[in-house]
Amino acid sequence: MGLENKLARALLVGGGFCAVCSSTSAQAETALSICYINHPVQVANVAILEKWAANQRVKLNKTVTSYTVYLPKITQMLTSGANDQCDIIWNNDDWGQDLAQYLEPLEDVPNARKVEVGQLEPFHTADGKTTAVSMTTTAGILFYRTDLISEAKLPKTWDDLVKISQTLQSEKKVKWGYVGGMSYTNTFFSFWWTLWNNSCDVYAPAYERDNKKLAANGWKPMIYSPCQVQTAEFWWDALNSKKISPPGMTTYSRDEANAIFQAGDAAFTVADTTFLGTFNNAERSSIAGKVGIAPFPVGPMSNGVHTWIDVWGWSIPKTLPNDRKTAAKKLLGAMLGDPDGQIEQWNQTGGPPPNTDVWRTLEKNDATWRRLHTILFKPDHVHAAYYFRNWATVHKVYSDTLIRAMKGKREDIAATLKAGSDAIHAGATAND
Amino acid sequence: MTARSTKFGVDEKERFMLFLIAPAGIVLVCFEIIPILIGMNASFREWSLVNPQRTWVGPKQYIAVFTDPVFLKMVLPNTFVLMILSVGVSVALGLALASLLNRPFFGRAIMRTIILLPLTIAPVITATMMRWSFNDQFGVITIFLSCLGLPDVAWLSDRWPSFALVIMTDIWIWTPWFTIILLAAMQGLPPEPFEAARIDAATPWCIFRRVTLPMLRPVIIVCVLIRAIDAFRTFDQVWILTGGGPARSTEVFSVYAYVLAFVDLDIGRAAAAAGIGALIMLFVGVGLYRLVNRSMEVSR
Repeated sequence: MGLENKLARALLVGGGFCAVCSSTSAQAETALSICYINHPVQVANVAILEKWAANQRVKLNKTVTSYTVYLPKITQMLTSGANDQCDIIWNNDDWGQDLAQYLEPLEDVPNARKVEVGQLEPFHTADGKTTAVSMTTTAGILFYRTDLISEAKLPKTWDDLVKISQTLQSEKKVKWGYVGGMSYTNTFFSFWWTLWNNSCDVYAPAYERDNKKLAANGWKPMIYSPCQVQTAEFWWDALNSKKISPPGMTTYSRDEANAIFQAGDAAFTVADTTFLGTFNNAERSSIAGKVGIAPFPVGPMSNGVHTWIDVWGWSIPKTLPNDRKTAAKKLLGAMLGDPDGQIEQWNQTGGPPPNTDVWRTLEKNDATWRRLHTILFKPDHVHAAYYFRNWATVHKVYSDTLIRAMKGKREDIAATLKAGSDAIHAGATAND
Repeated sequence: MTARSTKFGVDEKERFMLFLIAPAGIVLVCFEIIPILIGMNASFREWSLVNPQRTWVGPKQYIAVFTDPVFLKMVLPNTFVLMILSVGVSVALGLALASLLNRPFFGRAIMRTIILLPLTIAPVITATMMRWSFNDQFGVITIFLSCLGLPDVAWLSDRWPSFALVIMTDIWIWTPWFTIILLAAMQGLPPEPFEAARIDAATPWCIFRRVTLPMLRPVIIVCVLIRAIDAFRTFDQVWILTGGGPARSTEVFSVYAYVLAFVDLDIGRAAAAAGIGALIMLFVGVGLYRLVNRSMEVSR
């Protein structure tokens, strides 16, 4: 046999071996793409999914998207029926109802229903099936500096918050008493936590989220009701006369607010519990180890503390091929069944574990969890969003109206708020 | 005599010309004309990104935009103020810098490079840099101004300071563009008129006003035309710096259309707003184009 023939045979055998190997490996490994934003709790949850992906021989491709373009991008992807971009997507209760028709029901994912009562409703299809499984519970909480304020002296009312802030400011212990996001989409961290803690809401009756009941009441805006005017006046004073908050706070997202709190320049902030880990990370925060959590101070018309509790979840587009749907569901099920991973997520970020069974473990072993659970889950809850098509538009109108009131004269607040009323009413009734 | 080969009434030379422009033509049709037609079609429909039923509604979306007080009283005035001030100040500064750089001095080459730097930075990055530089708590410029004893200004939270910052950022980005073009034009001017003016004992200011400026006028007007159209669709700086706030008071045309499309997810109304913007720009462009032509004739 000539040398050429030997070489040819060797190449044939080698090539065949390589082809068999590569086809075996291709069959064994499924590739899934996961689309999300660069938020600490999402990054922590993706780490759990990555661990299980390796275990299940799934290649997990991560697509991190900016928050500002995430919703249009995902909506466009879902409505166009594309199935080659994201196999698992981050889903938020704010738009869960809009997207439900394009998403795969996830009732068959193990532990999908292990959440607090009512938390998956915003993700329900018309026949009551959930289209999301939880990655965490997002809930705002009052953070305070434990080195400046003892637990016994925590503010119970808005007046307390102002007095404590002014005292700390006058003693030069902090530059500002309170800092929080106030710009559009950060409304929760200023206007809304106070609104909900003054027996108030965007539409009457307060705290109602059933569209039928709200429609029966005529989608009546509460934006110029006394409880709302009082809330706006509280913030106007905080910014302009009592000066417990920076005057530029109307433009702050949580980035600016968190930066000021982490720099040690403010005594209080309201942010998602998922930032507890960031605030206590010594590499990122000058107040690490000095951060406590507390219930919201309430307004003069309050009938008790109200917290907002909503789920951030993962969903799967309906248009995916069955093999990828199955692989994605298996992966999500593994994450929900991984108590260690979920506890690690809690330890790293302060984001509650998605599976409420894991809460019982934390209840026994973790004092911070017990405190957080008491603060968040014992009082009455409210959903942070409304669930109709134009909610984002209404949210923006509300935000613009309140910010306009903050930049005007105090005596004009009621009139400014009333001017926004028609647009808020129209936003809810536009598609009737 | 050689008969020129014709096919479909097009001779060989014309066919070759068509062949050369075909790639550009195809790109233009695919990425400009067809999307514009799709957009125009969308503007006559109820078209939500979430629920794309695409119901035909006639001119409803156009009427809604034209009767929106925010569009009429805030967005259009802001857009034109931004366009006029940004282009006006940029061209003035560009002319001044070009005049300076047209003279020999030590380090001129380095100065030219430094002046060009803002143009090499993406507007998004420039706007982000400005946003943090003027941050009321940590901003380098805010702290510097405070150290000088100047009163605190809420740069990003009050309407006029934030709009001024938007204009300043736009000027910062675009002045180098005017500088480089006007400098090139200056260096191409014939020396004789300048020598004649100097023999007549004209002052430098007089030479600039009576000789340089009239000779540069066609170039200036072309630059202004291009830049004015570009300024009308400014988005990055406004979105990053103010997001159109506080309370929509710095919103310009592009931000208005963006909010409709990507916050409200209302593609139909956003397309109508874009269509109206295109019409406005068409009128402004035609006006400026006529001005250019007239100016060219005068300068000839």
